Amino acid sequence: MKLLDLAGKISADVLTPGRGAEVRVDQVYAADRISELLDAAADHVLLVSNLPGSHLVRLAELMDVPGICLVAGQMPEVSLVEAAKEHGTLLMVSPDGLFETCGRIYQHLVEEKRPGR
Amino acid sequence: MTSATYPIQAGDYEGGGAASRALKEQLKRIGADPAVVRRAMIAAYEAEMNVVIHAHGGELRAQIANGRLDVEVVDRGPGIPNIEQAMRPGFSTASAKARELGFGAGMGLPNIKKNSDLFAIESSAGEGTQIRFTIFLKSQALYGSGGHSIAVAAEKCHECLCCLHVCPTRAVRVFRGKPQILDYLCIDCTACIGACPTGALAMAGAEESFVPQADAALLVPEPCLAQFGPGVPPQQVVDELRALGFGEIHVTEAWDVALRRAVIAYAGGEAQVTPIISPGCPAVVNLIEARFPSLIPHVAPFLSAPAAAKSKLGSSRGIAVVLCPAQRTALLAGDTAGHPKIITPATFRSAIMPRLAQERHRRDALDRSGQGQAVEYGDHGPAGPTESTRPAEGLGENLLCVTGLPHVMALLEAIENGLAGDLLVVEMWVCDGGCFGSPLLAEDPFLARHRWQAVPTGNDPSAQAVRRTDPFAPRPGLRLDDNMAKAVQKLAKIDKLARSLPGSNCTLCGAPTCGALAEDIVLGRAPADACKRQKNQPEDLR
Repeated sequence: MKLLDLAGKISADVLTPGRGAEVRVDQVYAADRISELLDAAADHVLLVSNLPGSHLVRLAELMDVPGICLVAGQMPEVSLVEAAKEHGTLLMVSPDGLFETCGRIYQHLVEEKRPGR
Repeated sequence: MTSATYPIQAGDYEGGGAASRALKEQLKRIGADPAVVRRAMIAAYEAEMNVVIHAHGGELRAQIANGRLDVEVVDRGPGIPNIEQAMRPGFSTASAKARELGFGAGMGLPNIKKNSDLFAIESSAGEGTQIRFTIFLKSQALYGSGGHSIAVAAEKCHECLCCLHVCPTRAVRVFRGKPQILDYLCIDCTACIGACPTGALAMAGAEESFVPQADAALLVPEPCLAQFGPGVPPQQVVDELRALGFGEIHVTEAWDVALRRAVIAYAGGEAQVTPIISPGCPAVVNLIEARFPSLIPHVAPFLSAPAAAKSKLGSSRGIAVVLCPAQRTALLAGDTAGHPKIITPATFRSAIMPRLAQERHRRDALDRSGQGQAVEYGDHGPAGPTESTRPAEGLGENLLCVTGLPHVMALLEAIENGLAGDLLVVEMWVCDGGCFGSPLLAEDPFLARHRWQAVPTGNDPSAQAVRRTDPFAPRPGLRLDDNMAKAVQKLAKIDKLARSLPGSNCTLCGAPTCGALAEDIVLGRAPADACKRQKNQPEDLR
């Protein structure tokens, strides 16, 4: 699914669109530890995290991750938004908590894959 | 070889990762495999952030040479008192600040080790820590690579899957909307490039522009000189190249002719088998090494024409126009010193076109004013036609020239089955119509060849066939795992999975056959649920 479409479906607030209109994701991974995010990061994966700070964007940049989703309506620091804008990473904030956000994203990704659609 | 040193600031969480990022740029520049870049980035970022979090600053040194990336991350203390403990997953001494930002999970060192091929750590308390890791740029242990020259622009892919259907060695996959080419299968032919309607597949690593330095040498295949329509004979193109500043211009046709003579002489003398296969088309040689290894004794031991002509280009200033990825790979094979700059026919054309337009304008003006004379470039050529490289021309009854991939495959199968022993020499070209049919060229192959014949250039008397120093060798292909026991397990898994797939080879998943998909899933190249038509997958294979 196109990243920007996915953001719309989970009613997330898109702070920087990045390449979200072109890039597709087919996996979601949530963690609050950098090592775990690194391990799961790839160019088709949307990362979900509670972590603040612009190092998330650096990680996305190194691992070619197209988008980052923050949760619980928590607006990030300006430095994170600036960094995301600079590197063309989609940054969004979901109104729901981590668990629920992942659940909704998963549901949309599975629905897309279902045959007959 | 390239090496670089990047500083790392202690406590700089915001800027941390800059050294890894610089390393990534280096790796991308040399065209490292994305999987290698990924592993390198995980290891480098973990090592770099260790310095940011724990040390009083340090640096990351990276060296890329001989197919491997060596990274050394050195800091200025305080050192690790107990390395065994530090290597244990989950153990960390990170500060509260670092933990708040998601670091300090105690996974850093294990993560570096997991993602590198060689790993070492040394530390003395109070002094500092040194981490060294190595990643092999091509996983040489697992693949016998063909070193291919096809570049993928994933963003241009529309997933039409045309490439999957034409690849003779089933080297293409399109998973997650991205085409990828399996090195160990790719033979560098032009099938996928010709089939791709969007330009997502193209020849790799060619120069974007075309700036001849004074007295530079140029190697150009003859089809490139016959691409400019009926009014521009090849000789005029050669004249324009001289005007551009090239001191020496070598047309590969002369080496093709020399190679043909050498192959015929070889077939009539030394050869032990029939038929003898000409190594003129490097993609055919790759195809034989990959899929018809039993035919290797049939291949005459010479270099292809562009590779033989390479010596004419001198050291670093030569420029070579190449018609296909196979020619590029052949030209860049061997030692790294003295490789020519490579340009595509399109780049060549765009450099010549403006000059030709100017020339036409000037001639038109002269004609209108009634002064001067229109130049007949057709008369410029040397007296008498040269020996032609037209397929099959000048060959006797026992000699055969075949062009086009399907016919090449059919003939190779016939030779393998012992059904072509009546032939003495066979020349095979994977492109339809020989090199004039390369999809990188704009003009129709028949038209271009006709125009080339009409105005021949001189025959280079110094052109000679060159014997190969290294013998042809079969491609080892894929080994499923370094560890034999694990490889056997994987093979069994692939087998079982392949039987559970529909077997219709519909290609909708992005793999060329169901069997290929089974292998891709077990080796982690494709997602486990890639098949769009499979009803129930065995649970234990997930």
